[in-house]
Amino acid sequence: MDAQEKIIKKKRLKKPGRERRWKKNWAIYKKNILGRVGLALLSFFVLMALCSYIPPWIDPMYQPMSGVDPEISKSTGPSLRHWLGTDFMGRDLFSQLLAGARVAFMVGISSAFMSILLGTLVGMISGYMGKWVDTILMRLADIIMVMPTLLVVLILAALFGQLNIWSIVLIIALFRWPGVSRVIRAQTLSLRHRPFIESAKVSGASHMRIIFRHIMPNVLPLSFLYMTFRVTAAINIEAALAFLGFGDPGTVSWGMMLQWVWKTGHMFKAPYWLLPPGICISLITLSFYMLGRAMDEVLDPRLRKEGERY
Amino acid sequence: MKARTIKRFLIQAALTVFLLYPGIGFCGSHFLKIGLSDEPKTLNIWLASDRWSLRVLSQIYQPLFTRDPESMEMIPWLAAQDPVYDEASISYTVTLRESKWSDGSEITAEDVAFTGNIIRDLKIPRHFSKWDFIKKIEVVDKKTVRFYLEEPMAIFADRTLTTPIVCKKEWEKIYQEIKKTDKPLVALLNYNIEKPVGNGPFTVREWKKGAYLFLEKNKHFFGLGQTIEGRVLGPFIDGVIYKFFGTSDTAILSLKKGDIDMFWWAIQAGYLDDLKTDKNIQLHFNDRSAMYYMGFNLRKPPFNDVNFRRAVAILIDKGFIISRILQDQGVKMDSVVPPGNKFWYSKQAPDYGEGLTQDERIKRAFQVLKDSGYSWEVPPVDGSGKVVKGKGVRLPNGQPMGSFSILTPPSDYDPQRAMTGLIIQEWLRAMGIPASGKPMAFDALVDQVKVNRDFDAFILAYGQLSIDPDWIRNFFHSKNDKVRGENQAGYRNPDFDRISDQSARMIDKNARRKLICDMQAIIKKDLPYIPLYLPKMIEAVRTDRFAGWVDALEGIGSIWSFCMLKPIGK
Repeated sequence: MDAQEKIIKKKRLKKPGRERRWKKNWAIYKKNILGRVGLALLSFFVLMALCSYIPPWIDPMYQPMSGVDPEISKSTGPSLRHWLGTDFMGRDLFSQLLAGARVAFMVGISSAFMSILLGTLVGMISGYMGKWVDTILMRLADIIMVMPTLLVVLILAALFGQLNIWSIVLIIALFRWPGVSRVIRAQTLSLRHRPFIESAKVSGASHMRIIFRHIMPNVLPLSFLYMTFRVTAAINIEAALAFLGFGDPGTVSWGMMLQWVWKTGHMFKAPYWLLPPGICISLITLSFYMLGRAMDEVLDPRLRKEGERY
Repeated sequence: MKARTIKRFLIQAALTVFLLYPGIGFCGSHFLKIGLSDEPKTLNIWLASDRWSLRVLSQIYQPLFTRDPESMEMIPWLAAQDPVYDEASISYTVTLRESKWSDGSEITAEDVAFTGNIIRDLKIPRHFSKWDFIKKIEVVDKKTVRFYLEEPMAIFADRTLTTPIVCKKEWEKIYQEIKKTDKPLVALLNYNIEKPVGNGPFTVREWKKGAYLFLEKNKHFFGLGQTIEGRVLGPFIDGVIYKFFGTSDTAILSLKKGDIDMFWWAIQAGYLDDLKTDKNIQLHFNDRSAMYYMGFNLRKPPFNDVNFRRAVAILIDKGFIISRILQDQGVKMDSVVPPGNKFWYSKQAPDYGEGLTQDERIKRAFQVLKDSGYSWEVPPVDGSGKVVKGKGVRLPNGQPMGSFSILTPPSDYDPQRAMTGLIIQEWLRAMGIPASGKPMAFDALVDQVKVNRDFDAFILAYGQLSIDPDWIRNFFHSKNDKVRGENQAGYRNPDFDRISDQSARMIDKNARRKLICDMQAIIKKDLPYIPLYLPKMIEAVRTDRFAGWVDALEGIGSIWSFCMLKPIGK
């Protein structure tokens, strides 16, 4: 039997186990009402983000940033032509709302992913290495954790001018990893003394191999669980920044829509402009939160109801 | 000492109650409550450069001459009559009227001479350019002062004589003190002055930082009960209380509620419909003497290429900006002089891209750039003449054009300029030009442009421009291409310098007009700045407590309003 056949056989042997686990977890998830609602909401926003590419194809006036209705040059209410109405320049609000969904996912997922990556890495290294490495990394985490993210970003924006969307993503990621790293460190500390780690050490495995090959697979589900919460935080921070006038002005986000409605004096007279982005921000963060809660139950058997069979 | 502290505490408490509860006022007192969108930075007249400080100080310090709100002609204010010019000695003689400082002492020619001398001696920014051509200031007698000029200067009356006069008695002590320091100018600018001795209709009673600024009526004001240019002056109100609001929304809500009588800031078009329905609120629409423009840093490519600047000018659809962003509350500017300034304004040629559609603009700008050697990976106009999204623009030397920023004030400060920057960004991007609108804090923006000179392009405005457009010389003369100089673009044109110097010396008004028109034509051709638009000044006041606001160029917040405003029923 050559090496390739061995690998194929190994994969075949593994597959039923993974599938079984996946089915089991899905069954647990499905039973959770929060998870179902969260997933439905999230699917709706994914659909919105995908649909955001369509309006500019129909007519350039549906370009969310630069497109304007040639016949409308002020804010108008919903109509057949503009389902949510137009903003003060005659730009289509529905197109802006769809584009906002795209930005929300982009900001939320990318900054959450970055912060989780960083947090997981720091947590694993810190927990596994211990001693002075642990002390340094955890003190650093403490320092960053107590810094108010929004305030720091506001100061940076005031110093360097408006930040672009990727800078905002990066800053959010850099300020949101300590929480994750603390949880992952705690998990790593408990894994460190398990027999399989001890045996890996005895077999002569390097630290890198132990961390990435043996510890990481055991902490990743927890990281992904925290990612859902980080997405929520990232979306909220971006929206708050944009609303306060420190967002990326070249990006049509929900926060930016709220800023425009505010700064142009339409706050109290254009509910069709004010409410949709506000509702969307609330619902998308809620959906990620619900998803996180349901995943929590999947990963932590203690949270499941007694006597239930999966 | 103790009694004074208690008195101060009681006044503060009373004022706080007064400000918090609009229904409660000082019995029989008529205090005008004004909302400002920010707090004044200083009451040191030499340091003040922000609008809020200048607005407050304009009621404390007065000049020798001011402008009539209707005719816009110069009229004697602290002066008793028009200046007398002596051609032989190139001198102007000004006689002062009987007037007093807020401490009761007399305003004399010594005060005027001192003001001019301190500006010339310390080269005080914002004022020195108006005084640097004065050779000598002579105090002829207590009420007469004579200014000797190095050469005839057309701007003397319009610019120099409109400088606010300070009290020698107060400032001489400070002047002597700061002269002993290594950097007297810095020491003067940093001098903290809390209750300046003034000669305006109001004087500072109390400034509680972060809460309010209280000005009370100056009972020594020269205009009290006087009739000047057919207008009977007060002030007829007992004082002015300034409240500070971070946002227009809160200020407008306060105005509607009656917490303030006036919001001294341009109202955005979006608020108009709502305010028009309130019977207690009156809107004032006035012209501005201002210039809203896009400037370039001519010290670096591609902005040092006039054809690039012309292409940008072609791409900017000013009609779109007026109708969409300004909501028709403004006019286009096609010269650096506002079109309302009829005597000096010159429209010699059609504006760049005038009457073209956006596609036609792209085609024309593409042609201009192509003819100048620019190239594209994907040209914005394809082989069949159809407009497509341009990509990968290269400079004439073959280098890719680097991305650049168009700095604008944030939407907090001016949503119209912030939005204009974004829209221009989109128009440039359609050509494949990698521009990004970048709103930034106003002070930081001014520093970046004026002090650090680290910028690519920007959208800024000059407000309250004098009717005589000598400022064109200041903005574009090569001698002002220096740190903190007014020539922020770094424009250098010897022809322009020569004509502008000539215009400053030209006393004959018609000959001077010809020179000013030539200067406008040069700027229009070279485009160091692209004039964009001139918004209307829209202000809102309550009508239930005070009446008599005077409409004027730049709005109702002129000295005339504050001198003529009367409580209802008085």
